[in-house]
Amino acid sequence: MFDDTSENKTANDSTDASGENAVPAPIHDVHPQAVYSDNSANAGAYDLRAIVIAIAGWILPGFGHALLKMWGRAVTIFLAVGFLVYLGAGMRGNLFPPGGDDAFARLGYAADLGTGSFYFIARDVEGSRADVSHADGDYGTRFLATAGVLNLLAALHAYEAARRRKA
Amino acid sequence: MTGMVPLHLSHFQSLLLFAIIISLAFGTLGRRDPLERLKYAAWSFGMFVLVAIALGWLMYPFSR
Repeated sequence: MFDDTSENKTANDSTDASGENAVPAPIHDVHPQAVYSDNSANAGAYDLRAIVIAIAGWILPGFGHALLKMWGRAVTIFLAVGFLVYLGAGMRGNLFPPGGDDAFARLGYAADLGTGSFYFIARDVEGSRADVSHADGDYGTRFLATAGVLNLLAALHAYEAARRRKA
Repeated sequence: MTGMVPLHLSHFQSLLLFAIIISLAFGTLGRRDPLERLKYAAWSFGMFVLVAIALGWLMYPFSR
């Protein structure tokens, strides 16, 4: 019961000297490593859950945060990514297809694909009407790429939050 | 589903829209407290616009 290891001291900072009436520390105050060391089986479950949440957030922008009940962040990410994709497609930005010829095309495709399901919606909406001969189209290309990178950032944020790191 | 009306925005309108959307996302992701989020988003928006205008003026002599 009084296992005086440094790990237990870290995880049970809120216990009194006798160990009686111990009040567990709030989960967000405990270092994640200390939580994992108590039960390593839980660490794997947390990791798997975090990965699923990150993938969900990538496929549908904001969904990862919604699964974590972070409603404000979920709605903001959904609207921000959705509006950027709408603007980018509306400005006839270039939505890179898979199998690009050079590194820039492949990088552009990776950035665009970061929007998850919105990539296919944008491709359907825009069709083959991309036109980067004007500034509008060039800006639209940047809007689409930014939407993808922003969604990837949000998915990473949801992953960190799911692993109970500071987010 | 290809009947989308093309958008025609000026350079400055594009800049403002981009700055507003990204600043709101940064503020929401980067801070927890609503007031802190608003402050961070406002600061980020101001920086986006100011730096863009400053860079524009810096490049102006080379544009002709």
